[in-house]
Amino acid sequence: MRTVETESSRQSSAAPRKRTGGRRISPYGEQGRGGPLAYLTLIMVVAMSLFPIYWMFVVATRTNEVVGQTPPPLLPGGHLLDNLGRLLANDNANIALGLMNSIIASGTVTISVVFFSTLAGFAFAKLRFKGRNVLLLVIIATMMVPIQLGIIPLYMLMNRLGWVGELQAVIVPFLVTAFGVFLMRQYAAQAVSDELIEAARVDGCSTFRIYWNVVLPTLRPAAAVLGLLTFIQHWSEFIWPLAILDSDNPTVQVSLNMLATGYYSDYSQVFTGAALATLPLLVIFFLFGRQIVGGIMEGAVKA
Amino acid sequence: MTRVHTPAPQRPDSRGSPPSPAAGKRWTAWRARLDVKYSPYLYIAPFFLLFAAFGLFPLAYTFFVSLHDWHMVGDREYTGFDNYAELLGDDRFWNATYNTLGIFIIATIPQLLAALAIAHVLNRKLRALTFFRMAIVVPSITSVAAIAIVFNQLYARDFGMVNYLIGLIGFEGINWQAHRWSSWFAIATIVDWRWIGYNAVIYLAAMQAIPRQLYEAAAIDGASQWRQFWHITVPMLRPTIIFTVIISTIFGLQLFTEPLLFGSGAEITGGSLRQFQTVTMYMFENAFGLFDYGYASTVAWMLFLLILIGSLINFFVVRRISSAE
Amino acid sequence: MSISQRPRGWMRAGAIVAAGTLGTAAACTAPADEGDPDEPTTITVDVFGNFGYSEAGLYEEFEEMHPDIEIRERGTGMELGDYDERLTQWLAAGSGTGDIIALEEGILTRLKEQPDHFVDLYEHGAGDMEEDFLDWKWEQGHDADGDQLLGLGTDVGGLAMCYRVDLFEKAGLPTDRDEVSELWPTWDDYIDVGERFREAGLDAGFLDAATNTFNAILMQRAGETTGYTYFDEAGEFVVDDNPAVKDAWDTTLGMLDAGLSANLMSFSDQWNSGFRAGTFATIACPAWMLGYIEDQAGDAGEGKWDVATIPGEGGNWGGSFLAVSSQSEHQEEAAELARFLTSPESHLKVFQALGNLPSTVTALAEPELLEHRSEYFNDAPVGEIFGTGAQELDPVYLGADNQPVRDEMENALRAIEEGTLDPGEAWETAVNNAERVGR
Repeated sequence: MRTVETESSRQSSAAPRKRTGGRRISPYGEQGRGGPLAYLTLIMVVAMSLFPIYWMFVVATRTNEVVGQTPPPLLPGGHLLDNLGRLLANDNANIALGLMNSIIASGTVTISVVFFSTLAGFAFAKLRFKGRNVLLLVIIATMMVPIQLGIIPLYMLMNRLGWVGELQAVIVPFLVTAFGVFLMRQYAAQAVSDELIEAARVDGCSTFRIYWNVVLPTLRPAAAVLGLLTFIQHWSEFIWPLAILDSDNPTVQVSLNMLATGYYSDYSQVFTGAALATLPLLVIFFLFGRQIVGGIMEGAVKA
Repeated sequence: MTRVHTPAPQRPDSRGSPPSPAAGKRWTAWRARLDVKYSPYLYIAPFFLLFAAFGLFPLAYTFFVSLHDWHMVGDREYTGFDNYAELLGDDRFWNATYNTLGIFIIATIPQLLAALAIAHVLNRKLRALTFFRMAIVVPSITSVAAIAIVFNQLYARDFGMVNYLIGLIGFEGINWQAHRWSSWFAIATIVDWRWIGYNAVIYLAAMQAIPRQLYEAAAIDGASQWRQFWHITVPMLRPTIIFTVIISTIFGLQLFTEPLLFGSGAEITGGSLRQFQTVTMYMFENAFGLFDYGYASTVAWMLFLLILIGSLINFFVVRRISSAE
Repeated sequence: MSISQRPRGWMRAGAIVAAGTLGTAAACTAPADEGDPDEPTTITVDVFGNFGYSEAGLYEEFEEMHPDIEIRERGTGMELGDYDERLTQWLAAGSGTGDIIALEEGILTRLKEQPDHFVDLYEHGAGDMEEDFLDWKWEQGHDADGDQLLGLGTDVGGLAMCYRVDLFEKAGLPTDRDEVSELWPTWDDYIDVGERFREAGLDAGFLDAATNTFNAILMQRAGETTGYTYFDEAGEFVVDDNPAVKDAWDTTLGMLDAGLSANLMSFSDQWNSGFRAGTFATIACPAWMLGYIEDQAGDAGEGKWDVATIPGEGGNWGGSFLAVSSQSEHQEEAAELARFLTSPESHLKVFQALGNLPSTVTALAEPELLEHRSEYFNDAPVGEIFGTGAQELDPVYLGADNQPVRDEMENALRAIEEGTLDPGEAWETAVNNAERVGR
């Protein structure tokens, strides 16, 4: 679904901005500039977006007395370490191992998705081979297939492989995604110059060397965004890990589920777990949010 | 693609000199031809192999299983389309379908409208624009399990914050899980909370790509902002809107984690009268609660069809609506 | 980028995947033991809820007697439903279970038809334990044919009524446990007391939930009369024909009608916090629930809960067994541990530590048990309350599909409490729904 070339947007932002006459300036501001109501709206939207996350951390720093307290507390308390201690000592949730497993699994998947997607994306965008267009269409079509509906046979398959409860069960099925291939194809088509590839061929580079030395460096910004999005998404994967893993060898989401559905309700512990599971994502977002948002926006225009 | 297919490079491989120049040339040339012709397949093969193993095979096998009386233990028996016939007469399946569609509609429509509105507000010169953009995207990067835990507590009957606020303005607290309308509403807010900002940013990107001259011309013609929005912005966004609607359909019809965790986690039936059991939950109930794989697989395939039909309907409806302007 | 050295590894991964689809990959599970003779043998014990073995120091004791054995417990705090689901997956998959598996009576009933999953404990010298146990508890531990001993009894679920002293006081009701017990010789009396409580206008329900109360009454009535609940001993679905079920149902509805319930969902977060926050004043509590209440109400709840006798005549709800999985690679050691954990001495220690009521006659007759008081519950003489009459407890037969049927009955009760199901139609709805999963 290609929409508008980025060219036009560049032009328009470069074009001199004219005031469009003084008719009826809305409180949101005119088309170009934001008014007070625009700020008010956005501040409210931001507040609502951030509140549940904030509150998660508030409860994580308090005792269980938080439940039943009126009005509900809105400021952090001083029991974070206490809660953390109980959480880490909870064998049933096994969250330390869960975090470690999630880092390993999501990290592996991220590296793999980036590698295979750039490779395949490059092939689809820049190499000529029989059936290229048909195969690309097939990949796009597979994006429509809800994979999780095959969860029962997938479980049986894993059982045959002896992978039930093993970390590779949540890694291998995710090693490359249609979304990644498609995204990288779109970028490669536009960003990698044919001349450069030709020059490399004349220099005697093999196709893989061309990928490695020419294409990959060019795709790096887009690949980085793909990597970040992949990591975030895989980190949050819930249904499949829940079906195939257990608290002996969990991912962080499985640990969290054990906490949330456990026999005893220890809210502050559960919320501490939720906060711990969310923290890495927030750190990533804090460091690379600009690129991620930029990637989402660019992906939207290109898709 | 305009690339001319040049013959293989004639220079010897840089890594070592071949024993005989002539044989070496032939060897490199042959290898290079092979490389150009077949290596692309190697590069795209991982996707197809993995998809075949973990996407296509399970789905096809699901269909195979759905044609059997297949329980976790005991004998399997081929029953043709009996499961499908049973499913069509299964009021629980239709109840789950009804819930899924209902939640989908009350979640998706406000979600996309709100996203559109926010994008519209963001699409102007603002201080701290980057901050706003980033802040509204934060919900979409959180994990659904963690967030559902928070919302579950916010919506708790006895000590939840939402009921506390309702109490402040003098109304009786609501048992959010108990009723169809209230559970649907609560689940929809969880979904929307996560995805409004994300969609808004997507719309914003598309809005920024709309040539400015269009607005300027309209402004000169005296079109109000509102008219400009409906007559320029929305039609120009059509492909993006279709994209977001289809994505929302695919994910919305598979809704599972939010309602599951909303119902205290352990409640696969989605409430005492199944008032918020979605189709995916019903599939799970049959597969992992009742261990009836055959029937669960049938539910899975019906859901697949539902998604396909839903996506198609949405595609045509949205195309119609936004081109009618 | 860090992917530089990796491609070969990924290709290998691809090859494994490809092989997997062809079905040629070895479908075996990795050997659990690496075979180091100095490594201690690890025995894994799968439980749900709380069996109290760590609290009673039993693992430690066993490990001291067997320095080459290490015990690992999994699942403490897990909800029964989740545990059941996971266990069933493991059994079907043929791998994953621990060496010792705790079986709740409902689960055991279902698995009686599949004794292959378990080791015959007769082959491991458990036969001489027979006279320690309550007859029926010993019988229940056998497979469907009655030849194989699947499980050794842990506890039985003698019933009592737990109540909040502070709420009773505020409502102007007696707080002394003997006086409280005298308030409700029958369930009708219990309802009368509930109405008095309600009239006091406190912001709390008299009882926690219809479901929990219903289960307690049903087990009591079934024990007194038919000896079974939703299925008779031939496995026939009898919800509509068993007077015990309808009786318990009507009694429960009477309580709902009187507006006594806090309308909570058993084992939900809200229910759990209710123990601490005092959203209900009484709860029908089998012996195994004492530990649960203590865990939920926490330190702040100490002394606020007390234990009185249950309305009606005794009753028995719940109780579990320990089995040895045939997946175990250390069956001999596991069986020994199972025997140790279910010995009268261990039963007694668990009772003192947690409150789970022994299923061995020997332990039940111990003066130490009968004199035991629970500090947490206002020093209540729980030994006397649960122990007296425990030997006369009647077994109740549960069918293989007990759990799904029970879920349907409970759902209907909850829907009444939530105001979404008309009490007049609820029975029919419940029976119809139960029939779908039970027949």
